[in-house]
Amino acid sequence: MTPEAEPVRGDEPAPPLAPAPYGPAPYAPSAPPEGVQRQRLHPLTPLLESVRFLTAAAAAVGVQMFTSRNFLFAVYAAVAAAVVGGIASLIALQFRGFVIWGRELHIYGGVFTRSHRTVPLDRLQSVDLARPLRARVFGLAQLNIEVAGGDGTDARLAYLKHDRALELRAELLSIAGRPGAAPRVEAADEGAAESTAEAPERPEPLVPPVTVRKLAGASLLEALPVQLTALLVFGTAFAVTGSIFGFTQVATALWFGFFAPALLGYLQSTVATVNRFLRNCRFRITRDGGNLLIERGLTDTSHETVPVDRVTAVSFDEPILWRRRDWRRVEVWTAAMAQQSASVVKSTTALPVGGPAEVALVAAEAVPELPAAFEVERPPRRARWRMPLRWKWTGAMLDEQVFVVRQGLWVNTYVAVPYARIQSVRVVQGPIQRMQGLATVHAMTAGGLGHTAKAAHRDVGEAVAMAAELRRRADAAAALEAPRLS
Amino acid sequence: MNARAVPVWDLWPGGIEWQPMSPKLRTVWMLRSLLNVLILAVVAAVPLTIWLGWEGLLWALGGYVLLAGLRVLTVVRTVRTWGYAERDQDLLVRHGLLTRRLSIVPYGRIQLIDLSAGPIERMFGLTSVQVRTAALGSNTEVPGLDPMVAAALRDRLAVRAAEVREGL
Repeated sequence: MTPEAEPVRGDEPAPPLAPAPYGPAPYAPSAPPEGVQRQRLHPLTPLLESVRFLTAAAAAVGVQMFTSRNFLFAVYAAVAAAVVGGIASLIALQFRGFVIWGRELHIYGGVFTRSHRTVPLDRLQSVDLARPLRARVFGLAQLNIEVAGGDGTDARLAYLKHDRALELRAELLSIAGRPGAAPRVEAADEGAAESTAEAPERPEPLVPPVTVRKLAGASLLEALPVQLTALLVFGTAFAVTGSIFGFTQVATALWFGFFAPALLGYLQSTVATVNRFLRNCRFRITRDGGNLLIERGLTDTSHETVPVDRVTAVSFDEPILWRRRDWRRVEVWTAAMAQQSASVVKSTTALPVGGPAEVALVAAEAVPELPAAFEVERPPRRARWRMPLRWKWTGAMLDEQVFVVRQGLWVNTYVAVPYARIQSVRVVQGPIQRMQGLATVHAMTAGGLGHTAKAAHRDVGEAVAMAAELRRRADAAAALEAPRLS
Repeated sequence: MNARAVPVWDLWPGGIEWQPMSPKLRTVWMLRSLLNVLILAVVAAVPLTIWLGWEGLLWALGGYVLLAGLRVLTVVRTVRTWGYAERDQDLLVRHGLLTRRLSIVPYGRIQLIDLSAGPIERMFGLTSVQVRTAALGSNTEVPGLDPMVAAALRDRLAVRAAEVREGL
């Protein structure tokens, strides 16, 4: 801007903007200035992100090559792919990156549709380090950043070098003011500086590691009833219809209509079980200040951080065949929404399988003074005909710190919700319940419906009293806590 | 009718002064259900007329009158079940004729307050207030208030929510 321009035009200079119009503190600019150096993602990122497309393309080219016996075509295709892919990657990388500016993380992306996401680090729920297999091959990792609130507020930084990702995670957590995040960084730095042979920065795990054998046994026992029932149902259906209509006819008629999809579902559930087993292998849970750190995974390793003060519910799962062994699984729920899609509510496994002592230990770490055994009260006997099998395994209780409900037959679950985390309470009474004098109490927590504590079929008077008491205790518990804005 | 058939919200300890919805809500919902039944009757009248001749039209009309009468009765009773109450610490909303629901939303947990009014509602000068907390699916609605009442309710809720702010 030249000095002559102003008097000629006679424009008044624009009034200065208010330094900080609103907001909690004056540190937060809405966007970093243009010149700030963006931090780049790893150059292999576009390649890894299009790995599926590349595999498909390679397969197509391969088929083409074999059918037409034209090997030159494959060479041309490979060269063209390399050149085009390389240029596209270079261009894409120019627009991608992230900036930590003040207390915000800005993530840039997109070539044609530019995107700029601002992540307020004050609201940070957790930063998880995930290493999918394809990234692990190159020693890369991705960071999943979760912020409290509804759908689509999550962010992802992919891919970064593994140690860089760890550093960045520590940095983000320390900016967010997570207690306990800082010591770990220092410890890691010291470890790196001294580069001693032993690794002192790894704190002791809370529970002894789950042996592979126990985990495999537990997975098997968990999957067994479902699989057996499925086989039994299919088998009897086949036998009965077969004996009536003749086996060959049934086999041909029903195979494509019914058995093939059923088999597919069966296979899918088996694969899910195996996947879960692989995910929970080499499980390690440690306590670091106010966070629970969870490392797990055989093929895809992941690191998860669960801030203890954000735990909205703890659930204890007990599949039907685990009962005799007194094993349980502990899941921890936070207000952070699912990473990939809003429809899947995420919980974090805090213990894949464990005996009463281990469960008690983990539970007490997840929510202070949380007991692991609850004596829930069953619904009144007149509710029994409505759930003849489940009735025995259903119940609710108002504990000192938490509201506990128990439900489920195949997988019996105790859900414990700390009073301070209860958002709203609802009493619902269906028409049949009304005739019986029953009602259901819902205690809702932030995040989703997956772990809404639902005390089914209580006596009406008790249900209303329970709701009133829940509200009273929720207020009392929330008043004790320091108010948080996020 | 035994003691168990008492609506669940009447058992709440301590007296609650339930605020009713605007009387115009009944008209609006009645109109809406009459319109719905009318569409149904028109759709049903075509095959009936083809099948029975002009007599089919009479059948459709009779069906419409019967269904509409039933709907009007239920709507009148349903509207009567709606109510809200502001207590010291929370907002209570009750509704439902067959399935009775009582929602309790603490002021400290309110995240969003929406005012909305559809075209029919606007014609009659009605506004509904929606209160959301951080829990998914805890969408509590107070339908059919006078715009002034709704705005006043929103303001009161907003002030209370700012005063007693509780975390997630």
